[in-house]
Amino acid sequence: MPENYDNGTEVEVRDLNLWYGENHALHDISIDIPKNSVTALIGPSGCGKSTFLRCLNRMNDLVKNCRIEGKVHIDKQNIYSKDVDVVDLRKRVGMVFQKPNPFPMSIHDNIAYGPRIHGTGKKNIRGVVEEALRSGALWDEVSERLDKSALDLSGGQQQRLCIARTLAVRPEVILFDEPCSALDPISTSKIEELILELKKKYTIVIVTHNMQQAARISDYTGFFLTGELVEFDKTEQIFESPREKATEDYITGRFG
Amino acid sequence: MTRTKYQETLGILRRNVTQMGKLSQDAIHNSIAALKELNIDLAENVIEGDQIIDDYELSIEKCVAQLISLQSPTAGDMRLVTSCLKIAIDLERMSDLAVDIAQSTKKIEGNHIKPLIDIPKMAEMAESMLEQAMIAFENNDVSLAESVAKLDDEIDRTFYAVWKELMKMMIQDETIINNASHLLFVIRYLERIGDHACNICESVVYNASGKRENLN
Repeated sequence: MPENYDNGTEVEVRDLNLWYGENHALHDISIDIPKNSVTALIGPSGCGKSTFLRCLNRMNDLVKNCRIEGKVHIDKQNIYSKDVDVVDLRKRVGMVFQKPNPFPMSIHDNIAYGPRIHGTGKKNIRGVVEEALRSGALWDEVSERLDKSALDLSGGQQQRLCIARTLAVRPEVILFDEPCSALDPISTSKIEELILELKKKYTIVIVTHNMQQAARISDYTGFFLTGELVEFDKTEQIFESPREKATEDYITGRFG
Repeated sequence: MTRTKYQETLGILRRNVTQMGKLSQDAIHNSIAALKELNIDLAENVIEGDQIIDDYELSIEKCVAQLISLQSPTAGDMRLVTSCLKIAIDLERMSDLAVDIAQSTKKIEGNHIKPLIDIPKMAEMAESMLEQAMIAFENNDVSLAESVAKLDDEIDRTFYAVWKELMKMMIQDETIINNASHLLFVIRYLERIGDHACNICESVVYNASGKRENLN
């Protein structure tokens, strides 16, 4: 594991194990995810990378028969501690999914939904919506039609809306679970540009099947295989000279 | 095994570089043989044969460009691809230096100023460095590459010794200046060939280990 991050560690995971019933899906994962940087998680289907991602905002709590052991600290707080409010945690650790999932309501209300729940008053909501849409690189395209249905936006715009919706509640960490797999190349590059911009303010963790995407946008890369974190290092190290043969075989396409 | 076509192309690239290395080695060998015997026909063969080596370089460059643009090689594959391109450039330059030696041979007037002993010895060292560097490339042998690069010191020492000797002879006998100055160029070319062999060793080390070493 690389040491001494410039901006410090945001997420500290130690000896994390996860079982779905009898299935031991994650084995002794230890990783320090650096602040204000993009960390990519790669690996073949079923390797545990999305399962791991979902541990970071306790999405696996919703899965029946799921058992988790180990330590996950975000900004030095144990997120599996009994006194943690999960709703508040998911505000701090936002998530963007593979398929854009806007609510069936207006563009404005999609963004306003979260801040309203968390207590932002009517007076301030307009400003919050504009700021989030600007940060989500969508404002210029939708500012004239905020009251229109979000479902009428293109796939790429919907995904940026979902990112803006996450930003509206001012998270610390944003988890992306294959955010571009349903998008065309132009929309993909817009999201990638956006992620590079967002890392200035947020800590980003992204699961991707697109190796070139991981290479292009991430600062650090973790390679998962059969529930284990095989290698975690600076992205240039992983893609130029990985230390583990399994990593080399995967990223050069010899298996997976 | 997946990406069969990609793996095949990487194999072809590797073989072409190895083949180009053999041709460059032949060019160096023949250029010195031509110089030693003042064999103009052989010198002409070296000059004409350079086109084949240039063609190899071009085809390797094309292959590398295609691999990068179509297959996005990473890790060991990326190191192989970039190393092959660098080695091909070094081999092409070495072959040009063999051509330069052949051109010098054509400009020698009459007989040599003295029987050539150190120059063929220097050429043998340079040729052997290239041969060993290419073996190291074929076998991804870092320690061989590192030890081959050390031989360049001996070439450099011989270069300065012969250079001094030739200067001394020219001072003593002005009539040999034409032939001696061509020999001065030849030892310079051989010294450069040794440097390019060192570059190849550096590429071998990078390809095999990912480490960037300065062996020159």
